[in-house]
Amino acid sequence: MSPDAVVVGAGLAGLTAGVRLAQAGLRTTLVAKGPGATHLAPPTIDVLGYAPDLVERPADALASFVSERPEHPYARLPVDTVAASAEWLRALVPSLAYVGTIEENLLLPTAVGVPKPSALVPEAMAAGDLRSGGRFAFAGLRALKDFYPRLLADNLSQAKLPTGVTVDARAVHLTDPGAEADVSPLGYARMFEDQEFRSVVAAELLPRLEPGESVGFPSVLGLGEHRTTWLDLQDRLGRPVFEVPTLPPSVAGIRLFHALRDAFVRAGGRLLIGSTAAGAETNDDVVTHVVMQTAAARATPIDARWFVLATGGFAEGALFLDSYGEVHESVFGLAVTGVPPVGESRFVPRYFDDQPMARAGISVDERLRPLDLDGNVAFRNLFAAGAALGGAEPWRELSGNGLALASGFAVASAIVEGAS
Amino acid sequence: MATLQTDVLVIGGGSTGVGVARDAAMRGFSTVLVDRGDLATGTTGRFHGLLHSGGRYVVKDPKAAEECIHENRILRRIAADCIEDTGGLFVTTPIDAPEYADRFVEGCRAAGIPVEEIPVAEALRREPRMNPYISRAFTVPDASVDSWKTVWACARSAQAYGSRILPYHEVLDLTVDGGAVRGALVKDRRGGEDVRIDAEFVVNASGAWAGRIAAMAGCEVTVLPGKGIMIAMNHRLVNTVVNRCEMPADGDIIVPIRTVSVIGTTDQKVADPDDWQINRDEVQKMMDAGENLVPGFRRARALRVWGGVRPLYQDKAEGADTRDVTRAHTLLNHRQRDGVERFLTITGGKFCTFRLMAEDTVDAMCAELGVDQPCRTADEPLPDSEQGRYYWLGSRVERREATLHEDQLICECELVPRRRLEAAMRRRETIDLDDIRRTVRLGMGPCQGGFCIYRATGILHQVEKIAGEAANRSLLDFVQERWKGVQPILYGDQLRQARLDDWIFQGILDVAHLPGAWVGAA
Amino acid sequence: METMEWVRGSLDHCVKCTICETFCPVSNVTPLFPGPKYVGPQLERFRTDDGSPDASLDYCSGCGICTTVCPQGVKIAEINSQARAKMKAQRGIPLRDRIIARPSAMGKVGTPLAPIANFFLENRAFRWLVERTLRVHRQAPMPLFASRTFQSWARHHAPLAPATKAIVYFHGCSANHFEPRVAQMAVAVLEHNGYRVIVPRQGCCGLPLQSNGLFDDARRYVRKLARRLEPYARRGYDIVATSTSCGLMLKREAREILELEDDEDLRTVSAHMFDICEFLLNLHERGALRTDFRPLDMRVPYHAPCQQRGHGIGKPALELFRLIPGLEVVDSDVECCGVAGTYGLKTEKYDIAMEVGAPLFRQVTEVATEVAACDSETCRWQITRATGIPSVHPVELLYRAYGLS
Repeated sequence: MSPDAVVVGAGLAGLTAGVRLAQAGLRTTLVAKGPGATHLAPPTIDVLGYAPDLVERPADALASFVSERPEHPYARLPVDTVAASAEWLRALVPSLAYVGTIEENLLLPTAVGVPKPSALVPEAMAAGDLRSGGRFAFAGLRALKDFYPRLLADNLSQAKLPTGVTVDARAVHLTDPGAEADVSPLGYARMFEDQEFRSVVAAELLPRLEPGESVGFPSVLGLGEHRTTWLDLQDRLGRPVFEVPTLPPSVAGIRLFHALRDAFVRAGGRLLIGSTAAGAETNDDVVTHVVMQTAAARATPIDARWFVLATGGFAEGALFLDSYGEVHESVFGLAVTGVPPVGESRFVPRYFDDQPMARAGISVDERLRPLDLDGNVAFRNLFAAGAALGGAEPWRELSGNGLALASGFAVASAIVEGAS
Repeated sequence: MATLQTDVLVIGGGSTGVGVARDAAMRGFSTVLVDRGDLATGTTGRFHGLLHSGGRYVVKDPKAAEECIHENRILRRIAADCIEDTGGLFVTTPIDAPEYADRFVEGCRAAGIPVEEIPVAEALRREPRMNPYISRAFTVPDASVDSWKTVWACARSAQAYGSRILPYHEVLDLTVDGGAVRGALVKDRRGGEDVRIDAEFVVNASGAWAGRIAAMAGCEVTVLPGKGIMIAMNHRLVNTVVNRCEMPADGDIIVPIRTVSVIGTTDQKVADPDDWQINRDEVQKMMDAGENLVPGFRRARALRVWGGVRPLYQDKAEGADTRDVTRAHTLLNHRQRDGVERFLTITGGKFCTFRLMAEDTVDAMCAELGVDQPCRTADEPLPDSEQGRYYWLGSRVERREATLHEDQLICECELVPRRRLEAAMRRRETIDLDDIRRTVRLGMGPCQGGFCIYRATGILHQVEKIAGEAANRSLLDFVQERWKGVQPILYGDQLRQARLDDWIFQGILDVAHLPGAWVGAA
Repeated sequence: METMEWVRGSLDHCVKCTICETFCPVSNVTPLFPGPKYVGPQLERFRTDDGSPDASLDYCSGCGICTTVCPQGVKIAEINSQARAKMKAQRGIPLRDRIIARPSAMGKVGTPLAPIANFFLENRAFRWLVERTLRVHRQAPMPLFASRTFQSWARHHAPLAPATKAIVYFHGCSANHFEPRVAQMAVAVLEHNGYRVIVPRQGCCGLPLQSNGLFDDARRYVRKLARRLEPYARRGYDIVATSTSCGLMLKREAREILELEDDEDLRTVSAHMFDICEFLLNLHERGALRTDFRPLDMRVPYHAPCQQRGHGIGKPALELFRLIPGLEVVDSDVECCGVAGTYGLKTEKYDIAMEVGAPLFRQVTEVATEVAACDSETCRWQITRATGIPSVHPVELLYRAYGLS
């Protein structure tokens, strides 16, 4: 009884594909070495932020965006698919209560005070939307070294918002209780889940707030009890409270991971975290097995009818550049496009210039199946999703989660279709 | 315009310059030192950190070897805090001529360098990552030395004796009057204004730039910049300095320095010490050299690549290989040579003989001035080295363990706590995070600032009370500075890191759209 | 030829992502432990053979969750383990650690004298004295000695039915000296599925010695064990273990932490090593597992120990449980029960261990109608001591459901 489908990768793309496949009734096994970028990045669904100018309406912008970039993965993902994937996620994780649609980008402040475009955001971040201006107080926590509200407020006050509105921003530093000088975001998340702690924080903060001010906290308002934590704090302060994502770990992202993982397991999926997918066995143009390297000194093949590569890009080690300048894809040995010829620079000296290897990754067909160097489908039953896809520069375009979600969604659809 | 009066003006804030300032100050001269940048941003801050035993030169240049071991002993006495007593190994690798080893031993003995042959098995036990096919191994008293620490310790010693140390003061011109140098016109690059310095004597200790400075006094000095690149590997692949037992060649040494190990170096003549590239072939050459000394090197993580230019003085017309140019230092008395008085140029040499170079220079200056003052720089330990205890790698860990609960770790990779960072910001009165980096090693670890740059900027903004835009500049400049050294060597694990850092800076913080960001500008 | 170190060299993969820190059960309850990223790949860059001055390293429980979840493949727990051994070699290893690290030696003494030994182990005054002298916490979950070893039972055991295939059983010290019942049930389940169970002469795998920094002794023990098991592995027999942590030791920990990658016997044994639930689930997937289970009407909280997850095979016990009608199993999402082998027995670590396990204990108390299930013996003892609820190895539920009692 092998699984019907094997998904490699436990980031947003892999988990999306896994949950959808399992919910569609396919026996699905998801393997991953460890969690993906859910733990590092905010769980906002950034569909398209910069193209390269600020995008206000991503759904509208996609058409011209892909016409200029035919190699971009969005060229394989119709707007309807992107929209459907967003609605699917919203419905799947009511605990995060996503706000927004792909029609319009919200502008949320980053930890350094830049208004950043995102299409769907968890409800607990939504009150940070800057588009209508407003007055904001940003709370600094005594022992959190990953959040600098004074700098945030300084920059935000100078920010040029597209609508021409301005934002009034200032910082309030709290001397919250605790003995430790260096507390992690997760440490604070647990502290905020304690009612007593919230009461002390609110008592210190309230008298220092001005009328009409919304309050921005670093993204540490609880983990398992997040919703209660956030609502209670909002209640005590009597005004909108929102979270601002900061450096990893992303507490808000971990909430999304838990929700997706639980949904996968509930739908009957089998989860194997901790082992590396070290290779694959193939037969002509079909993948027959993914080979796992578990603790034992033997290869453990898992055979299935369909396979999904959602292992990420260079950041995750799925795509690997060696010291000679050659690029490899570590599981299926797929061709990687967007790599300059050997001997040519892979990178250029100025950081913000266009980097030659920025869009390297796996090229796919319209069903998101990886292509070989001749442009033919490499394996009939192999699909790719997420940061592994070439043609995008998601950290610059602000399209990471949007692509991961839509491609994971689309891959599952393609497989389910093929299965029936 | 502001003016300064001083006995001695030293131009150049590398090891030689601060050595001269210290020596002169200790002998009772009032001293001003200027450098166009931060201290030790020339060659001194750009070598691999080897405190030579001299073993490398025993066959090729015995005089240099003798100088090295002599100064090695003195520096161990006076600058212990800057030195890690790693010891050194000379090993005959499969690509080295086996006969050289005997000449090496002879040469060490002749130069007075303690050398001992040890069994290969013992050498491999000490350094399990080394090439197992080495045929012979010898121990020598090599060590690794932190050049910034040394330079700043000398500067502080000089200051204690009354010197004024002025980084970011660029010499625009030398004042020459009546056949003698009288001082210099200098620009304060941070403050913006010009400063006139009147001096009784000027010492040109500007290393690879010595020719430019000398020219300002009408003296022709030819210094050949010999570029060499080095690669820092993310962790110490070896804990002993490992040298190939062979005539000096490219990439023949790995130095464990602080938390990294450095493979170096190459030798390529360049025309301009300020204008040169790191090219792909050099990098691949160093990777191959590393693989020869430590098999599996190419699969280890390369952190950063940089280059420095050796100042090689040449009296005659240029030769082909700069390595043939003599390495012993050169002291030029311009009164004798060019008819320009009150002016000396000290150039050539290497870091480990800086104290000796300074002594020779100040001796010559005293002779010119008719002053009879002995040199005491070999006798008095530098600040922080008074106990005579060597630096040990675990010292930052020890300090952090003591303050685990009371202080925040800002640069986690290099264990820089918040209080230390803030103190450095205040003391240096700088908003340039690269200056801070040289002082406390901020951003020098595996993440190359991915996590600590945002934190340090937030702290800088608070501590220095600067405007948001100034803080943004600091952040963006430092991100660019870190990228500069990473991109020519970016592969494997470091590329993973760089991508994560991209996600942090652009994906999470969106720094490209900070107010005042110059993204895309020239 | 490769001389790259597997464990220390893996620190190069660390991109400081903090994922390990989010999972670490110890640093999430106490500031005494600064976290796996800090003591592992971060401080390793500052360590030489002269050791490391970080006392905080000692608070690492060695649970190994960090290594399991690290997406980049850093061998964090293994780095910590090696660093700690060096540190202890420098500072000296307490007598306590030397004793509790040798369950087989304790067993050799305790089993023949079981009634007396157990009397003392349950005597409060004696335990108070032990706490004062050896610093083993008086409430630490120490097991009781069985009066007859499993080996002895196995030598006299005659299978009830003819077998078509054979398998080797690595029972481990705890089954031999403390819980022979678990081993007997495992044998019964395997025999029920047509296997002749071979129980060769064995020994301790050295895991507790390794966890306590006694690396030379650990190597001796594990090599000896490998030499005893290798002849079977070489002939193609699979080897199953009911002690999931000891199984992991033979699968990879000994090779990685004790630097025995070149030991051919150990490698061969590893290649044939299976956790028993892993093995039974594989049988089921081939259609070769008997599924004549009777209903078990109970609700059982299941805790997959950190060492079980270190196998990287998912949670096969859960899938086996689904085959048993009437059985409702609730998978705890708690990372660690706290005991981490011998860690939670120690006076200075006991409170931390109890705090780490607290959410699990709460869950077990709320969910269990009769028993809790867990693959590791030390975890079972911890759970039972903390909650009063009996804890069983998953194989016991199969045993009961097969009606073999």
